[in-house]
Amino acid sequence: MHSALWISKTGLDAQQTDIANISNNLANASTVGFKKSRAVFEDLLYQTVNQAGGISSQETKMPAGLTLGAGTKVTATQRVFTQGTVQSTDNSLDMMVDGAGFFQIQLPDGNIGYTRNGQFALDEEGQLVTPGSGYLLDPGIAVPDNAQSITVSTDGEVSVRLNGETENQVVGQIEIANFINPTGLEPIGQNLYLQTGASGDAVIGTPGLDGMGSILQGALESSNVNVTEELVNMIESQRVYEMNSKVISTVDEMLSNLNQQL
Amino acid sequence: MDNFLYLAASGATQNMNALGVHANNLANAKSDAFKADMHQARSMQAYGEGLPTRVFAMEERPASNFDSGALKTTGRAMDVAIKGQGWLVVQDGNGGEGLTRAGALRFDETGMLLNNQGRPVLGEAGPIFAPLPIEKVEIAVDGMVTVRPQGAPADGFEEVGQLRLSNPEVANLTKGEDGLFRDLDNDNYPTDITVQLQSGTLEGSNVNPVEEMVGMLAAQRQFDMQIKLMKTAEENDQAGSRMMDV
Repeated sequence: MHSALWISKTGLDAQQTDIANISNNLANASTVGFKKSRAVFEDLLYQTVNQAGGISSQETKMPAGLTLGAGTKVTATQRVFTQGTVQSTDNSLDMMVDGAGFFQIQLPDGNIGYTRNGQFALDEEGQLVTPGSGYLLDPGIAVPDNAQSITVSTDGEVSVRLNGETENQVVGQIEIANFINPTGLEPIGQNLYLQTGASGDAVIGTPGLDGMGSILQGALESSNVNVTEELVNMIESQRVYEMNSKVISTVDEMLSNLNQQL
Repeated sequence: MDNFLYLAASGATQNMNALGVHANNLANAKSDAFKADMHQARSMQAYGEGLPTRVFAMEERPASNFDSGALKTTGRAMDVAIKGQGWLVVQDGNGGEGLTRAGALRFDETGMLLNNQGRPVLGEAGPIFAPLPIEKVEIAVDGMVTVRPQGAPADGFEEVGQLRLSNPEVANLTKGEDGLFRDLDNDNYPTDITVQLQSGTLEGSNVNPVEEMVGMLAAQRQFDMQIKLMKTAEENDQAGSRMMDV
């Protein structure tokens, strides 16, 4: 069959992947700490039909050849780690990383997950856990049950004011992790990422020092999805999809014309 | 059977090839910095015994369209678009050099600067490496890549290399099978200091959908005409056969 059919098929596939990616971004437009991803398109290999410089007669050479492209492909979905906007909540257990870095979460399987979502809650033992699944913050921080108030400093020191006391008492230190190539992190849902060979090993440090982001208590980081950008992208993908399907119907008409006429 | 059947068949095949070029352009309407391929048909004299009365059509891709694509603002510091003319020099799969304008750059886990196709982006002295871990990257207008290593003070930017921005004559450039552009006569891409970058933006594809659609329709109609010719050849042939029936 004709190559144009397969070329436009790659276009349709790629646009479909792009739309899926865009809809995931839009679905997470209000997910705290969500980082948008974008599809990266690339042209596929080219095949040479006529070689430039081929012999056209005994004395002459062809000045140009014909190389046909094989279409397009989505080679990667690249996560964009720009900072989301600050959403002030005044809840003392809400915190966000202002700058680079991730909170570390103890997963049930023993691995460490990384997140930008700082909506913490307390479990029945007074430990800081993620709001959805109740996974422990790592290193763990336990708040005594007679605590009146909790304060988190920008460098991650967690202190509490106990009932009847006047001095704050330090109960733990939040550490954050950073990566050489955060784009290479593997998203596993629930706002969590796992480190991979591409992301490099986590570099763990104190918030606000050594290039790590500092911690802002009483605020959350909104998703960095730009809704307008996503909609523009969606329109673009839809139109490109339509044009590629037009190519398919054109080739179809040509072939059917050929079959009917001859 | 008359030879012109073969002429029509060659024309139809070439129209199909033309459609392939349009299909590929349209498929890449969202590929960053993609340059649309042009195509043209050329007459090819059929040499051999007898009178030189047959001229076949031959489809060619004489060049690509080197116009700039639309700029898209991404806000990512490692996305660079080239203002006006110019190219980034990257290493191809064989260790040679090729040119591209696709500038979504990243560092790999060894600190080597790559473009989004995973090809090392070259500076004056080969691939560019940055000390890891990096906190912040900036790419200047002239292609100077500076990074602030993690833990360095706010002004602790280090220069890690300068992107080789070259501006060879586009008339000599051809797109290779890997999609990179090359100057086949002169495999040397020196720095041109007039080429400038803009970071935080990417260049889109320069495919003009309207042009491609019109080209596609033209190829389709021409194809239909070739079929008509083939049909005529068949009818002529039948007429000849009928005369013999008497």
